[in-house]
Amino acid sequence: MNDAPVVISVEGVTIAYGEHVVQRDVSFDVRRGEVFVILGGSGCGKSSLLKTMIGLYRPAAGRILYDGEDIVTAEGEDRVRLLRKFGVMYQSGALFGSMTVLENVRLPLDEFTDLGGEEKELVAAAKLNQVGLLDAASRKPSALSGGMQKRAGIARAMALDPGILFLDEPSAGLDPITSAGLDRTIRELSKGLGITFVVVTHELQSIYAIADRCVMLDARTKTMIAEGRPADLRDRAKDPYVRQFFLRQADPAAAATEGSRSS
Amino acid sequence: MSGEAAARVALRSEAGAGSVLALSGTLDVASAAAARREIAAQVASARPNALAVDAAGIEHGDMSGMALLYELAEGRLVPGVRATIRGLRPEFQTLLSAFPASDALAAIEAPAPRRGFLDQVGAATLSVLADLRAQLVFLGGIVLGFLAVLRRPRAMRWREVGVVFEKAGVNALPIVSLISFLMGLVIAFEAAQPLEMFGAQIFIANMIGLVMIREFSPIFTAIIFAGRSGSAFAAEIGTMKVNEELNALETMGLDPLRFLVIQRVFAGTMLMPVLAAYSMVWGVLGGIVVMMAMGFPFAQIWTQLVGALGVWDVIVGISKSFVFGAIIAGLGCLRGMQTQEGPNAVGDSTTRAVVAGILMIILVDAVYSILTYVLHV
Repeated sequence: MNDAPVVISVEGVTIAYGEHVVQRDVSFDVRRGEVFVILGGSGCGKSSLLKTMIGLYRPAAGRILYDGEDIVTAEGEDRVRLLRKFGVMYQSGALFGSMTVLENVRLPLDEFTDLGGEEKELVAAAKLNQVGLLDAASRKPSALSGGMQKRAGIARAMALDPGILFLDEPSAGLDPITSAGLDRTIRELSKGLGITFVVVTHELQSIYAIADRCVMLDARTKTMIAEGRPADLRDRAKDPYVRQFFLRQADPAAAATEGSRSS
Repeated sequence: MSGEAAARVALRSEAGAGSVLALSGTLDVASAAAARREIAAQVASARPNALAVDAAGIEHGDMSGMALLYELAEGRLVPGVRATIRGLRPEFQTLLSAFPASDALAAIEAPAPRRGFLDQVGAATLSVLADLRAQLVFLGGIVLGFLAVLRRPRAMRWREVGVVFEKAGVNALPIVSLISFLMGLVIAFEAAQPLEMFGAQIFIANMIGLVMIREFSPIFTAIIFAGRSGSAFAAEIGTMKVNEELNALETMGLDPLRFLVIQRVFAGTMLMPVLAAYSMVWGVLGGIVVMMAMGFPFAQIWTQLVGALGVWDVIVGISKSFVFGAIIAGLGCLRGMQTQEGPNAVGDSTTRAVVAGILMIILVDAVYSILTYVLHV
């Protein structure tokens, strides 16, 4: 996996809302085909970083490169071309309530391709089939459970076959079985189709199940404090907060003891 | 994943295999439409009985490209001919296998059955009856709530009443002033010409007085109240319902009707007559300004106006406003509490509150007109 080419480079990114700095000087690379997780405690700026990476927020400093092209400075046609490289699943699914699930998935195909109506229908149906939602194709989003809405969100994000998928808190609010099913879908899409995933989450079980590599953000220091494989960070991280996070300990001293036992 | 390169298409005959369609290059979202046209053109001229697709040359592809192979394999592209696909790389096989079976696809593509005319009329009738029932139940709840407040006045959330008075009343004064003044102005100008023919322009004062005080001020103030505040009540309570705040109230043992509705209906009922009286003043003022501009002295206009109006005119106008206020506030709250789920739900409730409010204003006004005619007041 380490030999795969870099598809996203985050270089010295600082995120701030006016005077309030959320994260400072964040840098990492995402490689083709890997499941890359951005994790951290509540309020550390994970979702802000994701929204900055997909071009919704403009960073106070730094660059975000897709195959070497900076989305921060890209404008017009160049920006649209960069946006087409990835799909995004938002935390709530963000499906359009006035359309059926199939129409939601079909929408990007209608807007950005010259495929015929029958082909668009076929591709949308195949995407829904990939996430196990074909039976719900004719239903409105309001008639779906939370897990189904998220899977429909993934299907819509994949509609144009982007090489990269961003998922914001895919497991939030889901029961363990549904959450595990979603994790399996992510692994299958990653390994079967070679899609690169950038996932924001703080669900430990999901992180262990899906992540090839991860970075951890910290709300106290307002910067990135760890990068690597989840198991390595759990067993070998020097920062006690990182071990505390991975060992799910409320008390840092207990995490230090647990960490020394496991390593 | 998508590329800019085109797919290459070549149809040839092969001994023992019939016609062979060789596809190569890039078959993705960018090239699929052109490849489809090319295949259709070549197949139409050759009219093969059996077709094999040699897909070994496909180097890049995605789901949109594989849709083309699926259509060929299922006989959807060349009617009556199901092609066999050979030589497809494993990574593309994975994509191709994601397409659903024909019967599953047919179930999606089948249009939803249309309901007959009688079905639709029946459903609409049931819906209206259910809504009437809901309004009656709601009205009963409000009456019970008011009785409870009469027994224990501290049960009313008076601070909320004050907030509604400020938002729906004080903040509405500028728009009520402007509309009422202009309405008085317009009525005076419109009446001036026909009355001039009879040398009876002094009767503009009578018309302004009667029209503004008995009809226009109560109705226009009610329409402003429905647009500004009835809709706001529906949106506020609707948003609370979507956010499950109403459920939270119920599980805390608090009655949403008493907690959210009673004070709004009370404030609306008390506020409307005040706003209507305020509107009457501005409307009459608008008419007086026009008449003074025509050369009538103020004293003459005032004498004519006071002489034309009776106490019952004011009572009719003000009493209507009480009813309008209660109806608009009540319907706004009811529509808010009936809010369904989904992104359009709050917007729908707001629209329904305003439409139902205005409809009821006109209905009640018609009833008032008939009653006052019969009773000679």
